[in-house]
Amino acid sequence: MGFQFGAVLIFAVVAVLFALVALLVGAIFRPRFPNADKVSIYECGERPVGAAWYNFNPRFYLIALAFVIFEVDIALTFPVVVVYADWTKKGNGWIALTELVLFTIILLIGLIWAWAHGDLEWVKKLSAADKPAGSEANRG
Amino acid sequence: MAITSIIQSGPGAGVLLTNTNRFDDLLNLARKNSIHYLLFGLACCGIELMQTGGPRADLDRFAAVFRASPRQADLMIVAGTLSYKMAERTKLLYDQMAEPKYVLAMGSCANCGGLFQSSYAVVKGVDKIIPVDVYVPGCPPRPEALTEGLMRIQDIIMSERWWREKRRPQSGAK
Amino acid sequence: MNAQEIHSKLKAQFGDAVGDLAEAKIDPFVMVKSDKIVEICRFAKDEAGLDFNYCEDVTGIDWPARNVIEVVYHLFSLQQRHQFVLKVEADRSQPSVPSVQGVWKAANWLEREVYDMLGVSFVGHPDMRRILLPDDWVGHPLRKDYQEAGGYHGVTNTRPDPLVKLGQKVEEERKAIAAAAPPPVATPATATPSGGFGTDSPPHQPPRASHAPVAATNTAPASVSATATAPAPATAPAPDKKESPNG
Repeated sequence: MGFQFGAVLIFAVVAVLFALVALLVGAIFRPRFPNADKVSIYECGERPVGAAWYNFNPRFYLIALAFVIFEVDIALTFPVVVVYADWTKKGNGWIALTELVLFTIILLIGLIWAWAHGDLEWVKKLSAADKPAGSEANRG
Repeated sequence: MAITSIIQSGPGAGVLLTNTNRFDDLLNLARKNSIHYLLFGLACCGIELMQTGGPRADLDRFAAVFRASPRQADLMIVAGTLSYKMAERTKLLYDQMAEPKYVLAMGSCANCGGLFQSSYAVVKGVDKIIPVDVYVPGCPPRPEALTEGLMRIQDIIMSERWWREKRRPQSGAK
Repeated sequence: MNAQEIHSKLKAQFGDAVGDLAEAKIDPFVMVKSDKIVEICRFAKDEAGLDFNYCEDVTGIDWPARNVIEVVYHLFSLQQRHQFVLKVEADRSQPSVPSVQGVWKAANWLEREVYDMLGVSFVGHPDMRRILLPDDWVGHPLRKDYQEAGGYHGVTNTRPDPLVKLGQKVEEERKAIAAAAPPPVATPATATPSGGFGTDSPPHQPPRASHAPVAATNTAPASVSATATAPAPATAPAPDKKESPNG
């Protein structure tokens, strides 16, 4: 068994070296003549306007968060699935099923709460309190 | 051991280009058999460029594939008429390519302005803004002609010395 | 509906603002007053029988002699399948026409093109800037008095014609050959300047007489390189030297 771990280690080392040596050979043998135009941002030939970094919309974060939670749910379901056949043979299948369903329902309640709260809306509407100050007066 | 390259560059004249050593040949062999050309079809020659990349006159058998980004390209095939509005972008795209880079002017419009000599908006030849290595005449050149142009680029690549290319930056246009 | 009926409908609605139906060279057209063009176009689009919902083209014609720029509207109806042409005259010194892009959105870019090429500014257009040429171009090219600026951003607009230089080189070589050649050989060469195949050259000199002018004019690059590598003494060996790089 120790020999198999050694094989894995060698495998990992060779994989890392494979990438590193390839990049190193390129770095040694390629010409390097940077100038201002060459390192400018590629925008299909146009000069870029404005900055490349900007504020990210947090709605992506909310959707990703909901996804991660349910992904963990799935990950914790796999062990249950593995032993489910044995438990059914012993007559305890109902216990496993109930626990699994309960677990999922708890997470679902959280999802329904987030849904009702409006966190999953992609296009968010401003409430009256949040509208910018001058716009209502200007339209009047 | 030196290998000399001879290219027939004109009617009847044999031109001796340079001496390359085995290491140069190895590098150049790898480079010439993996030319990635920048997809730069501007006009009708672009259609012929597509056809040359197509199944019948296959550029892929030279392992020359098109890349949309200049960062990944080493050959810029300027296929079509260059207008002044596009010329600025062309210069920037050429500048954004990494060395070693080559330019192939395809068709009359890229060579010298083509049939648009009296136009106010056409650049009379792409070599007014970027240096050109190979000119392929035609309107449009047949795929076989463009393939020969690519093979001339391959000849140029085979005749280069690695150390000289590494030390000398590409100069600007005339 | 044919052109007469369309014209009479427009005339009935707008009276004096609509001119007479002109003789059709290609399309029959109607000259219209420029201050009424927007109403006329809206009527043409909305009116039940006319239904001109497709603005095919907006172009312009520069008439320096009459001192006007005409703006031409090509209209088409997809339902009724009839077409019509309206023309508006704008004063050439300050051409300005109300914009019809409120009637057809297609006119937005078409009017930008007319502005770019002819300099006609369209009142009420939300985005009046050049569309085909670069933004800092000087001049309006389709005007009859347009002068090119000689280049743009440092790139010149002409290219030296290589045949001119080549012709000069060939002429100099011919003069050199003719000057260095012995007179009897030179005569048939100058007497048959355009290729002496089958002309009156003496039988023992056909290679010389026929090849010298032909080589100079038809295969000029060969002669250029040949004289660069082997300065010819202009006797019998010369044509052979000239021919060898070709062969």
